[in-house]
Amino acid sequence: MDGLILGFDLCDAYTQLVCNQGEKSWTLPTVICRKKEEESWMVGEPAYASALAGNGVMVDKLVKLVIKDGTSTIGGIRYGGAQLLVQFLIQVAALAKKEYNTDEIKQIVFSVPRIDTRLLACLTSCGDYLGMSGKDIHVISHTEGFMYYVLSQKREVWNNQVGMFDLSGEGLCYYEMKVQRGLRQTTVMAEKERLEEGFSLDILNSAAGRKMGDRILCSCGSRMLQKKLFSSIFLMGKGFEERDWAEGFMKLVCNRRRVYVETELFAKGAAYRAVDLLREKSAYPYVCICEGRLDSSVSMRVLYKDQDNQLMLANAGVSWYEAAKEVELILDGQDYLEFIITPPDQRKKKTVKMALEGFPKREEKTLRVLLQIGFLDERTMTVTVTDQGFGELFPSTGAVLRQEVML
Amino acid sequence: MSVIVCGQKRAEHPFYLEGLGINIYSCQELCYVVYHHPLMFLDGIMDQNLVNFIRNEFDMGFVAARVEQRIKSGEKQEDILLFFMQECNYYTTAELNKLRQTMMSLKRLTVFEYAKRKADYLVQFKQYGRAIAAYEEILEQRDQRADDQFVSRVLNNLGACYARIFQFRKAMEAYDKAYEKRKDLGTLERMYHLTLLDPGLALKDRYQSTVSGELMERWKKDFEKAGESAKEAEEVKKIKVLFEKDSVRRMEGAEQLVEEWKKEYRRMA
Repeated sequence: MDGLILGFDLCDAYTQLVCNQGEKSWTLPTVICRKKEEESWMVGEPAYASALAGNGVMVDKLVKLVIKDGTSTIGGIRYGGAQLLVQFLIQVAALAKKEYNTDEIKQIVFSVPRIDTRLLACLTSCGDYLGMSGKDIHVISHTEGFMYYVLSQKREVWNNQVGMFDLSGEGLCYYEMKVQRGLRQTTVMAEKERLEEGFSLDILNSAAGRKMGDRILCSCGSRMLQKKLFSSIFLMGKGFEERDWAEGFMKLVCNRRRVYVETELFAKGAAYRAVDLLREKSAYPYVCICEGRLDSSVSMRVLYKDQDNQLMLANAGVSWYEAAKEVELILDGQDYLEFIITPPDQRKKKTVKMALEGFPKREEKTLRVLLQIGFLDERTMTVTVTDQGFGELFPSTGAVLRQEVML
Repeated sequence: MSVIVCGQKRAEHPFYLEGLGINIYSCQELCYVVYHHPLMFLDGIMDQNLVNFIRNEFDMGFVAARVEQRIKSGEKQEDILLFFMQECNYYTTAELNKLRQTMMSLKRLTVFEYAKRKADYLVQFKQYGRAIAAYEEILEQRDQRADDQFVSRVLNNLGACYARIFQFRKAMEAYDKAYEKRKDLGTLERMYHLTLLDPGLALKDRYQSTVSGELMERWKKDFEKAGESAKEAEEVKKIKVLFEKDSVRRMEGAEQLVEEWKKEYRRMA
C-alpha cells in the first residue's frame, strides 16, 4: 500500500469518507465525545453511545463551531472548534489507516457545503496531526465534488445537462452542471440552489408526511427540470436511500432520462479530485466554474517588447483560495493600476482602476511596486500594493495600499 | 503610460558602480543609470565582472553569454549596452534609439568637453574628490582647443567642488583663476560668499573696485536667506528631534549621525 487517498464529505450532520476512489467508505455522524475523566476521544455512533451512557461529553455541529470560532468546555478544558474538528478528523482517518494497515496518507480532499476561510484554515492546517504535508490537503465545495463525480463517469452521462437533487438532514438542494464545448477549451459550469421547500426527513416516518414529501419534490422537480435536456439526473442524500415514498417524483425524473442514486457522491467526487491532484497531467482538462472557483479571470495590460500584452493574475476556474499571486511591476507614467475582469460572458468584461494614493511621485519608470492579490471568496479579490523603491536611487517610502475589488 | 513586469531576479550581492557611487540591485536600475548617464558607461563598463554579475545575480545566463560573445568579437561598448538593455525589456525600442543618438553625439564631443562632462557627472553624484582630479587633469592637459571660456567653466566647477568639501582656500584660488579667464560677476559673488563662510579669506583688492557696496549688501542678503532656508532642511529637523530625546538616546543617535557624516565625507572627498 503506497499511502491512502482520501475523499471526505464533511457536513454538520454527517461525514463520509471514501478511500482510494470508493474501494471502501464510511458514513458517520459528525460528532465527537470525550470521556469525562480522561482525554480519550470517540466519534460517530460510539460517541452517541458513550454520551448516552453518561461516560463522556459529546459535541456536535463541529463545522459550524469552527466557522463561528466557537469553543466547548469538556472536563474543565476549553477546546476551540478547530481543535475538536481536527481531533474528529484524526479519529475518522484512523478508521482508514486501520483498515489498510498504513499510517501514510498521500492526499486528502474535503468536500464541504460552503467554503469558509476559518474552515479552510482549520482543514489545511491539520496535516501535521494526520502525518502528512499541508500542501496535500485541498478543500472543494459540494458543487465541485458533484462536478468531479459526474466528469468521472462515462461521457454519455454528461453529454448534455446533468441535474441532481440532494435531500438530507441539512435540507434540499438542487445542483446543475452543463458543458460548453469551445474550439480552444471546454468549460464546465455547475451551480447549486438551496430550495426553500426543504423538509425534515422525520416527516417521512408517517404516511401523510411521505405523501407531502413526494408532492414537494414533484413541484420542485417540475420547476427545476422543465423544458431542459438532461443526460442524467442524480439523486443524493439520506432522503433518497429509500425511494418508495416518492413515487410521483421518481416517475417525473425517470421520464426519458437516466437516473442514478448515489449516496456518497460528494465524498467520491472529492476522492476523484484527490487522485487527479496526484497525476502529472489532469484527467479533467476543462475550465471548471462553480462555487469555490473563480468564474472571472483577472488580468492586467502590460508592455512587453514594445507590445501590449495581458498579464494573467488569476484564471477563471481556479480555486479562489489557491489563486494568490504576487508580481513586481514598474509603472511608467501612470499612478494607478488597472485590472481587467473577464467573466464567462466576454461582453460583460470590465476594468477596475486602483489609484495609488499616497505613493511617491518619482521620475518615469522608477515607481516599482509589489502587487499581491488574493481572494476572500469567489467574488472578492484583495489587492495589496507596496512601494519597493528603486534601489539606492530611490529608496522605498514604505507606502502600502490595500483594497478589495469586487469581481 | 504603461506597466512593465519585473521578471528578472534581484541581486543579493549588488554591483557597485564606482563612477556614480551607488549599488545596483536590478537590471532595471542598471538600464536606468545607463540611460540617464550614458557618458559614465561609454568607456567600457561591460567587462567580465559585469557579465558574471548579470549571469549570477540576475539569473540571465543566456543574455550574459551573448554579451560575452559580443565583447570577445570586439563590438562597440554602446552596441553591447544597447543589446543588453533591449533584453531587459525596460526601455522601448524608441527610447533606446534616442539613447543611441545621445551616445553618438557624446562620441562626437572634443576630448576636453567629453572629460568635463564626465567630471560634471561625478559632481552630480557628490563624488567631489574624483571630480576634482578629473577637472585638474583637464587643466593640466589642455591645449589650444580649450578656449578661455571653457577653461573658466572648468575652474568654476573645480572651485565649487573644493567648496563642497570645505576646502575654501583652494576654492577661492580656483574661482580667482576662473575670473581671470572670464570676467563673470557670478564668480565674484561665489568668492564673496566664500569670505563669509571663512572669515580668514578676503576678496582681493583688485576686485574691490568692481564690486560696489550695494552689490555686496545684496549678495550678503542672499547668503543669509540661503542660511535661513537651510535651517528648514529635513536634516536639521532630524537633529532637532534628536536633541529632544533623553541623553542616552541622544548620544546613540548622535554617534550614528556622525558616523553617517564621516562616511558621506569620505565618499565625497
